[in-house]
Parts: sequence; C-alpha cells; structure tokens
Amino acid sequence: AKVKAKELRGKKKEELLKQLDDLKKELQILRVAKVTGGAAAKLGKIYTVRKSVARVLTVIKQTQKDNLRKFYRKKTHKPKDLRQKKTRALRRALTPYELSLKSKKELRKQRLYPLRKYAVKE
Amino acid sequence: MAPKAKKPAAKAPAAKEEKKEAAPAKAAAPAKSAAPKTSKAAAKAAAPPKVDAGVVKAKDKALRAKKSVVRGTHDKKNRKIRTSVHFRRPKTLKLPRAPKYPRKSVNKTNKLDQYCLIKHPLTTESAMKKIEDNNTLVFIVDKRANKPMIKLAVKKLYDIEVAKVNTLIRPDCEKKAYVRIAPDYDALDIANKIGII
Repeated sequence: AKVKAKELRGKKKEELLKQLDDLKKELQILRVAKVTGGAAAKLGKIYTVRKSVARVLTVIKQTQKDNLRKFYRKKTHKPKDLRQKKTRALRRALTPYELSLKSKKELRKQRLYPLRKYAVKE
Repeated sequence: MAPKAKKPAAKAPAAKEEKKEAAPAKAAAPAKSAAPKTSKAAAKAAAPPKVDAGVVKAKDKALRAKKSVVRGTHDKKNRKIRTSVHFRRPKTLKLPRAPKYPRKSVNKTNKLDQYCLIKHPLTTESAMKKIEDNNTLVFIVDKRANKPMIKLAVKKLYDIEVAKVNTLIRPDCEKKAYVRIAPDYDALDIANKIGII
C-alpha cells in the first residue's frame, strides 16, 4: 500500500499524526522480522514504509509552514524564518525608499537645472 | 477675589434652604472643605460641595504658580542622606519578556521519539538465554539514548513495567540495552508477542 502525497494533503493534522504512528509501528515490526530472518517480501517493504513515513512528515511540515505564512502575511513583525532570506548583505542594505532620498541642496539643483532636450532645426 | 465673593452670596439663600433639608452628614462634609476668605463663611459652607472644592483648588493652584514665577525655581534641593561610603547601583524596573514575534516560527520536533530510540531486539543465543533465565529483553538502541529514556520507550511500546536497564556500547558503535522486566511480567510472553522467538 503506497501512501501518496496527494491523498495526504487533504487530511487533518490529527489524522496525519495517527497515520505516522501506524507507519512507524509497522516499520518496527518489519525491522524485527529482518533480525529474525523474515520473508523477502517483508524485507522489501521496509524501504516503502520508510519513504511513506518521510512523505507524511513532509506533508505535515509543509502544511504547517504554509498556514504560518498565511497567518503572518499581513503582520509587520514576522518570525525570522518567514522573512526574505536574500543574503546577509542585501538584508542590511538601504531600502529603495532610503536610496531615493535626496538632500535639500540636491532637490534644489534638480528643480533649477532640469535635463533639457534640444532639437536640431532642419 | 471679587467675583468669587459674589458667587457664594448668590448661592447663600438657596444654600440655606438646602441646609435645612440636607442630612446632618451632608452638612458636615462641606464644612470640612477648605475655608474661603470671605465673610460669608457659614453660608458658603452649606453651598454644593462640588463647585466649592473645585473653585478653591483652582485658586490654590493659581497662587502656587504665581509664587514659583515670582521666586524663580531655584529652591533648596532635598539632599539624600548617605549612610555608606559606597555607591551601589540603584535597582531599576526589570520587565519580563514580551516578544512581538517568535524568533522561530515552528519549534523543533523531537526527532528521537520512542520508535527511533529502540531499533530492534537481539535474537542471538545469549540474548535468548537472558529472556528465559533472567527475565530480560535485549535491544539495540540508538547511541544517543540513555537509561531512563530507554525505560520509558519500552514501557510505551510494549505496555510493560521495567525493573532496570543496563547499557553498553558494542565495538561496532551500537548501543545494546539489557532491559530487565518487572517480575509480574514474563519476558518469554513478550518476546512471543514481539515476534523474536
């Protein structure tokens, strides 16, 4: 019985956790079978169950993160792992607004001496 | 001062009527409030207390303000009496933490849960001997497990009571745990249930 991520995404958290528990119990049984020399079918199943466990955990984590992002979307103070990662230097750089700020002197110059366009008369 | 003197005069006839009607407690209360400097002290005392107290307070405040303006604000300071030669840092307000956002959005889950802790039981001859003779089960456990954790995990997984746990680390870097079961449980039964017989 292969567990599919598509089916898992609709489920609730409690259901997912219960499924996780069941899978882990199954894995335990299979490992005991491995030690006591079990059938080849059982031994082959270990791989699929391990991957199913991984799939359930992934879905749980993904939905959790997704919900948290939705919760913090409109808020000013977000947890640090939900903020933009970019790079350390970029995060410390001036914001576009701060870059656009001009001194009074500069503004005055801009107003008095704008860029003129000239046309050559034919 | 003049307008204030007129006010109580106007209220005096009304106040006198009130005085006769009012309860003795009420008459005593206005008498306590600050005495004005007019001659109509008695009449004013019976006037409605709210207005009177307000007027007097305002007058006091105004006088104090006038005083500080005229004098200037270089009055004598209250110097503390120091009883020790040493200056000790004064205790200031220490507020508890009230973060505006959690630093981590999700806390770490415990990766080493009961299923991860106990890897599998041992089925060697000596392990079988332990089951029969000493009522113990032998497990290979995670290397990071410690004895109380192993005890708890075995309890949870197999619903049994554990007497004690002995551990060692094998030469192939795996931890082996000898889990002695409480005398009211049988290791042989549990081994059958797990599937290691």
